[in-house]
Amino acid sequence: MPESVWSRILGLRKAREVNVLLALLIVGTAIGLATPYFLTTSNLMGVARAFSLTAIMSIGMVMVIITGGIDLSVGSVMGLSSLVTALCFSAGVSTGLSIAGGLLVGLVFGGVNGLLVTWVGLPPFITTLGTLSIGRGLMYVITRGIPQTPDTPPAFAVIGQGYVAFVPIPVVILIVMTAIFTVVMKMTRFGRHVYAVGGNESAARLSGVRTSRVKFIVYALSGLIASLAGVIAFSRYLSAEPASGFGAELDVIAAAAIGGASLAGGVGSVLGAVIGAALTGVISNGVVLMNINTYAQQAITGAVILIAVSMDVMRSRRKRV
Amino acid sequence: MSVFDKLLKVMLAAVPILVAGVALAKDAKDITVAVIPKVAVPFFDDCNTGAANAAKAAGVQYQWVSPQNTQGSTQVKIVEDLIAKHVDGIAISVNEPKSVEGVIKQAMAAGIKVLTFDSDSANSGRSMYIGTINAAAGATMGHSMAKAIGGKGKVAIVTGQLGASNLNERIAGIKKALAAHPAISIVTTEGTDDDLAKAVSVSEALLRGHPDLAGVFGVSQVGGPAMAKVLATKEFGERKGKLKVFAFDDLPDTLRGVKEGFIQGIMVQRPVTMGRLAVEHLVAQIQGTETAPKDVDTGVTVVDAKNLGNYTK
Repeated sequence: MPESVWSRILGLRKAREVNVLLALLIVGTAIGLATPYFLTTSNLMGVARAFSLTAIMSIGMVMVIITGGIDLSVGSVMGLSSLVTALCFSAGVSTGLSIAGGLLVGLVFGGVNGLLVTWVGLPPFITTLGTLSIGRGLMYVITRGIPQTPDTPPAFAVIGQGYVAFVPIPVVILIVMTAIFTVVMKMTRFGRHVYAVGGNESAARLSGVRTSRVKFIVYALSGLIASLAGVIAFSRYLSAEPASGFGAELDVIAAAAIGGASLAGGVGSVLGAVIGAALTGVISNGVVLMNINTYAQQAITGAVILIAVSMDVMRSRRKRV
Repeated sequence: MSVFDKLLKVMLAAVPILVAGVALAKDAKDITVAVIPKVAVPFFDDCNTGAANAAKAAGVQYQWVSPQNTQGSTQVKIVEDLIAKHVDGIAISVNEPKSVEGVIKQAMAAGIKVLTFDSDSANSGRSMYIGTINAAAGATMGHSMAKAIGGKGKVAIVTGQLGASNLNERIAGIKKALAAHPAISIVTTEGTDDDLAKAVSVSEALLRGHPDLAGVFGVSQVGGPAMAKVLATKEFGERKGKLKVFAFDDLPDTLRGVKEGFIQGIMVQRPVTMGRLAVEHLVAQIQGTETAPKDVDTGVTVVDAKNLGNYTK
């Protein structure tokens, strides 16, 4: 049924992604007109690699947000996964097992988040604030403030530093993840259930959706995806420092929100979140290329976020009237 | 032929053009140098002042790019952006030495001159390092102390984090300088984690445990303010001035300690000089007048009651 598939992918639901894509194109064109260095293959690929970690994590985050939750622990989980991967290498463990060790951190943290939210019934904000602190605290306990830089086989560095043709591998991973989770969210029963839980949890439960299971899975996925970002980050920098991933949760939440996700739940999309991450990545690149006062960067990013989201909100309001 | 192949061909064709562009000697006004500090703190404001003035004097374009946080990855991203911008020179004070190694090599391969200042990444292949050589600064501190206490007596060292390499280098410098004075003995080295509250309690315990102490080295930035606070209390007030204190870094509290007589001298690093030299050396390397760069020790200024108002950085 190609028609219904296409209508789901490109249908009206995608209007919000179109808005943020528009904002990205406007900002990109403006920077491209202001400086000749922006629209080059190597720069654009560099920018994509730089925002790919935020974007990958925003895929997990947007699913949590769609259920009406939040995951503040992603930055810590990313950092701790980097660190555990590094420690595995220090201990002489093979590349495959070191990566698995890093990913296990995310699965454990995500699973604990999921259990606390569904089984104990804690609010997601408190739950993940707690695991954020635990993760960061463990990093300081383990490292005592000193970055871990074990020797790694060259093959491992390919994940973060390699290319497929001219596309950096982290970007390739991002594209694959975006495709997979777009399909999962738009075309599977699980995806529909995620939207249903966030739209109206009681109604979803009454109509037979196992809401606790859905929520547990999205937190576990968010943790796992954050740890994947952590493994990629370690492969890219080959140094796991205690501050790694510090504050990253805010960038990730911002990406999801810019991409049209509603923190009230029920609304949002994987593609929107990824484009949202791209928008902030392009802005921070533009600030350096155009020699804008670097101290103003955060303020500019904040202003662009507000403008983009306001455009989005006003457009969808007009449509509804 | 696929689109990717075409793109690849275009990119490959562009390489010789770019290389040729770099190889030609440049006018000063066509040169862009960028300076990257660790993060926005007053020390680097001073570096910016020195660097901006040097760039103005040389007539080159200048860009100051301050990271929003101290993560190694943030500086990597900034260097990538600057490579894309085709700047001619980059000076960087490194937050995390290992993580920037790859990107500095990449910049050098792209024909950009890179040097480090203040904080080094020794294995990055950068052309040179400009900054305080901590062992030499520690030696200066040791000599100052030896002179102040007349070449004899017991001294103690108050440091920050026990594992910090820059502090350990300073301590090694102190020990080397004091080796020439057999009548001076170091009774202890205390860690404070660079936490002022902890430094105060450590200093109190130190003074109680060693009533005959002649001098204290504050090798990290909390040592000076902590000793000044302790010596201002009733319990230890009578040892003010008799106990010689030498400290590091000109924080406001430390300067006040010198003014009020609690501290006899501060080793002050020279951030303005670092910034100036960084830009001057980059420009010289870009224009080809400096071909064999060597590391530069910017040294420390010893600030005491006499030059408190008019020392230069």
